[in-house]
Amino acid sequence: MAVRKHKLINRPEDLVDEMLAGFCAAYGDIVRCGDNRLVMRAEPKAPGKVGLVMGSGSGHEPAMLGWVGEGLLDVVVAGEVFAAPGPDNMLAGIRAADRGGGVLICVSHHAGDRLNAELALELCEIEGIDNVDMVLLYDDISSAPKGRESERRGTAGLFFIWKLLGAYCEGDVSLAAAKALAEKVRDNTRSLAVSLSSCASPMTGETMFALAADEMEIGMGLHGEMGRGRQKALSADETIDLMLPPLLADLPYQTGDETLVLLNNSGSLTLMELFILYRRAAARLAEAGIRVYRSWIGPYATTLETAGFALALCRVDEQMKALWDAPANGAYMKQL
Amino acid sequence: MNKIGVTELRELIVAISERVASERDLLNRLDAALGDGDHGSSVSTAFEAAVEDIAALNEPSLSAIWLTTAKALMNRMGGASGAIFGTFFLRGVSLLREREGLDKAEMEAVLKAGLAGVKARGKAQLGDKTMVDALEPAMAAFAAAEDFRAAWSAAAQAAHEGAETTRNLLARQGRAKYLGERAIGRIDPGAMTVALMFAAIDNYWRANCK
Repeated sequence: MAVRKHKLINRPEDLVDEMLAGFCAAYGDIVRCGDNRLVMRAEPKAPGKVGLVMGSGSGHEPAMLGWVGEGLLDVVVAGEVFAAPGPDNMLAGIRAADRGGGVLICVSHHAGDRLNAELALELCEIEGIDNVDMVLLYDDISSAPKGRESERRGTAGLFFIWKLLGAYCEGDVSLAAAKALAEKVRDNTRSLAVSLSSCASPMTGETMFALAADEMEIGMGLHGEMGRGRQKALSADETIDLMLPPLLADLPYQTGDETLVLLNNSGSLTLMELFILYRRAAARLAEAGIRVYRSWIGPYATTLETAGFALALCRVDEQMKALWDAPANGAYMKQL
Repeated sequence: MNKIGVTELRELIVAISERVASERDLLNRLDAALGDGDHGSSVSTAFEAAVEDIAALNEPSLSAIWLTTAKALMNRMGGASGAIFGTFFLRGVSLLREREGLDKAEMEAVLKAGLAGVKARGKAQLGDKTMVDALEPAMAAFAAAEDFRAAWSAAAQAAHEGAETTRNLLARQGRAKYLGERAIGRIDPGAMTVALMFAAIDNYWRANCK
């Protein structure tokens, strides 16, 4: 499948800063931009609460910018396209998120995100900033087998964590409790992605990988990395039927479980296709006796213009359901 | 020449910057096969920033040059490679403090500290298809040589050969590890960058240091 290579950008080296400027101009009632490529809540949360900061390579919009706001993340630090921000900018983000109740660095598990968070923690120690911790988040079942979950990548399923953890940290909770909640959501979340075409880097203009017109790739990473295997492209129902059994078996999700469901558009699928896919997924979940508490369909964590989607599930209990329904006001995540 | 002073150290960084910039497309192509295809662009941008930041130093010392390079790589490159390449320079900084010149044994200690930092930070060993596959043999070759000229030359040769060995390895670290056997047949772009760094230093030394 041909990949669109012409991007409506200006100089490639300016694209991250120009994107942030546009985002903050559009949503100035919710966020403001700061130095060091920070995007912060327009109104910081009350003193004494746990601050949430996340570094994120660019190219996944509206993630993570759209999750900055009340009931969500406090600060997002933007990196270059698909590259985690460096330690100086992370340190600036930690300072900006610090309201005196401790700061939790949310790390989507990729080598760059982890290493730069670790470097930032070393800088915090040198500078005497204490009460800072990090939590590694992962969900993609294709990146390591069951039993080695901690080696897996962070992908679209982290969607659930931003919302639930953000709501939790609006309350009077400790840093340790915030980290435990993040781990609880993570350990109940699983996702798997499929792509029909690659994307082109706006920096180089080159496609990330090649897929024939009649092929699909199973288990793609959030950066357009090639996944584990490819095969002939299937219909919508066949694709869901292929993805759902390994997803359900991994946790496992069982009869009687309640879940949040995300069908995440990786970039350029149509909503029409996503609804057709969701119809099958919902039917299959019902057959398995798994109740859907809330569902979300749309482009939340994208990989530029990749044609593909991720299916993510999060098993919820009463605490998590209440957190999901708590108010949130980010540019791309609203809960009234 | 048997000492590296501030001028030489600064010019080594300039030589590296020019070399990776001239091979930017090659590095991007190598990265496209294993990662997201912009390693050449990001590493050349970061070294250019290092050169600019070093030129702007009020009092360029050996340690300031190394620290400035570390920060430019970590903060301008970002990602895993920025953290790891940055760590290579960062770990040498304390050994350079208060020094005005480096003899070969002292330079060797700086490079060795960098290698140890890279291995610890990236949790990578020889054979994992990373920059360590070029850096570790380069360090061994550097250590075994008599003087700077022979050492840079041997290190450049060993780094080149080490980068070549990554072609037939399975990746065990970084994004490429998810490719499994599809990573076979491709040179690791980080290892190639190390090979280019040592080649640049070797060329600089041959041309300028008698």
